[in-house]
Amino acid sequence: MQSKNKIGMILLYIAAIILAVVFFFPIWILILTSFQPSNLSVYAKYPSLILQSFTLSNVISSFKTPSNGLVGSLLRSLEVAFIVGFLSLGLAIPASYGLSKISARISNKIIVLLFLVNMMPGLVIAIPIASDFIRLGIQNTSPFVVFSVAFAQELVVLPLTVFVILGGFRSLPKDLENQARVDGANFRTAFARLLIPLNKIAILVAFLLAWMTSWDEFTYAVIVAPIAPSNTTFPVTLQNYVSYGYPLISATFALVASVPVIILAVFLMKYLKGGYLSGGLIG
Amino acid sequence: MATPRGLQMFKYDSLNKVVMLNTANDNTMLPRSDRIALKQNLLYFLFALPAVVYVISLSFYPAINVVYDSFIFKDKFSLSNYTGLVGENLYPALIDTLIVSVGALLIQLMFALAVAMIMIKPFKGNRIFSTIVIIPFGISTVVSAWVFSEIFSAIGGYANSFLILFGITVNWHATSTSELGIVMFSDFWKNTPLIALILFGGLSSISPSMYEAASVDGAGPFKRFLHITLPAIAPLMGIALLIRGVAEFNIFALPLVLVGYSPPFMNTLIYSNYESVLNVGFAYSASVILLVIIMIYAAIVLALGGAPKYAK
Repeated sequence: MQSKNKIGMILLYIAAIILAVVFFFPIWILILTSFQPSNLSVYAKYPSLILQSFTLSNVISSFKTPSNGLVGSLLRSLEVAFIVGFLSLGLAIPASYGLSKISARISNKIIVLLFLVNMMPGLVIAIPIASDFIRLGIQNTSPFVVFSVAFAQELVVLPLTVFVILGGFRSLPKDLENQARVDGANFRTAFARLLIPLNKIAILVAFLLAWMTSWDEFTYAVIVAPIAPSNTTFPVTLQNYVSYGYPLISATFALVASVPVIILAVFLMKYLKGGYLSGGLIG
Repeated sequence: MATPRGLQMFKYDSLNKVVMLNTANDNTMLPRSDRIALKQNLLYFLFALPAVVYVISLSFYPAINVVYDSFIFKDKFSLSNYTGLVGENLYPALIDTLIVSVGALLIQLMFALAVAMIMIKPFKGNRIFSTIVIIPFGISTVVSAWVFSEIFSAIGGYANSFLILFGITVNWHATSTSELGIVMFSDFWKNTPLIALILFGGLSSISPSMYEAASVDGAGPFKRFLHITLPAIAPLMGIALLIRGVAEFNIFALPLVLVGYSPPFMNTLIYSNYESVLNVGFAYSASVILLVIIMIYAAIVLALGGAPKYAK
């Protein structure tokens, strides 16, 4: 038994190391290209797999050239992501509260409906919206673009945020709200002072998921927001720069910009492991 | 370790069911008569109404527009947008999208399960492993596509720097099969972490005593996996298949950056036709075809057991 366990442990470590190497390898390449002179990385035929020299020149030039398109669209992406995050809370908190009160038989059908609507291909929805904007001549008006991209991306994240927050509401004891009402709290106080605070982690997880999805979203953004870097979101500008002209500095800039998001992902993992993604499943 | 939420709720619910049999007013869980339940449900449904209206109006309305426009050719009602699409690489795009979607989905599920099963074992280095594995979730799709284009180049590239140590070099863009392969691999890398986290939720709801009891009764590792692990994660696999599957058919940014418009995918085909002003009709008809494929896929997933467990 003892030796069997030992073999199992060794196999576990081997599998873990192989998987970790596979998942880390592209990150390592990203580091190699970002912090080495370009003749050692993207312009080398067989670039070295180990770090040979270290430079910050890529990072510095990525913040300067070309005419700050990267920085501008990064800021726009942040605006869009926060609008998407708060909009999802505004829609998903009441929705999941209502659904948690409805019998599971019906509420689960509504959730399936939300997910089904979510299945429309992004381009199917984005193209008519974009052509309406072009017809109205407002496709280049900046605040308008920010909001329309955010409203379109909201479609992608809404079902998932409802699902996560619903899981939180369902895990609360059912009589809690009734007891607060008996003790004299009206509906608004019970909701604001009791239900929301008790559910704050699910709400935070939902917000961060919405934020991260919007941060990465490409399909809606490329159709609804025009390609000009002064007007579009970060992923679209990045795709533009990577494909036409400035791959190295845009990737470097993207790595630097990704560091906070990676930290966010690691932070989020703790809660996602706790089962928030399966939250609404058992009704 | 965090409490398995699924289990927790189940306890609450079974508790509530017992409690609720004795309370006359609260019939949200067990409707005594359907009419009272309906009235109550309707009131609470009002809370969900904004979200439902939002999603339906912003996706059904444009979708109907697209379906209608796909049948309009030169201001007349016709099928020309569909018949003309065949000459625009429709079949290769369909086949490539299907191959990559199904392939990537299978690889992702398999490896996500492996990752989740490692994550749940207590061993030294678990934290480091979990952190490394989650990183791709925080890297944006366009950036990961670019990294993989640096790794899998036609000539040279990082993959070949490794392979040349063994005297081999590969042109990753030589055939469309290998190009589909690199798209599949990049997609696997980016999206496996999220599925692993979904499945982890299911694995953590299994109590270790079940495995012990099963091995006392003589069940081997394979049997334990088949009869304990799989049933516990089946509903979560359903969710993963639904969320990820739909996203797979909609794969867009990855192939656009990695391989451009050839080999074609449904979405890159739609986009290239949308970009060329003359062919917008083709973009509409291709969108409708993609929509139909996704609906068929969703129907299959829901019929195959997603639905009964999901919306019981």
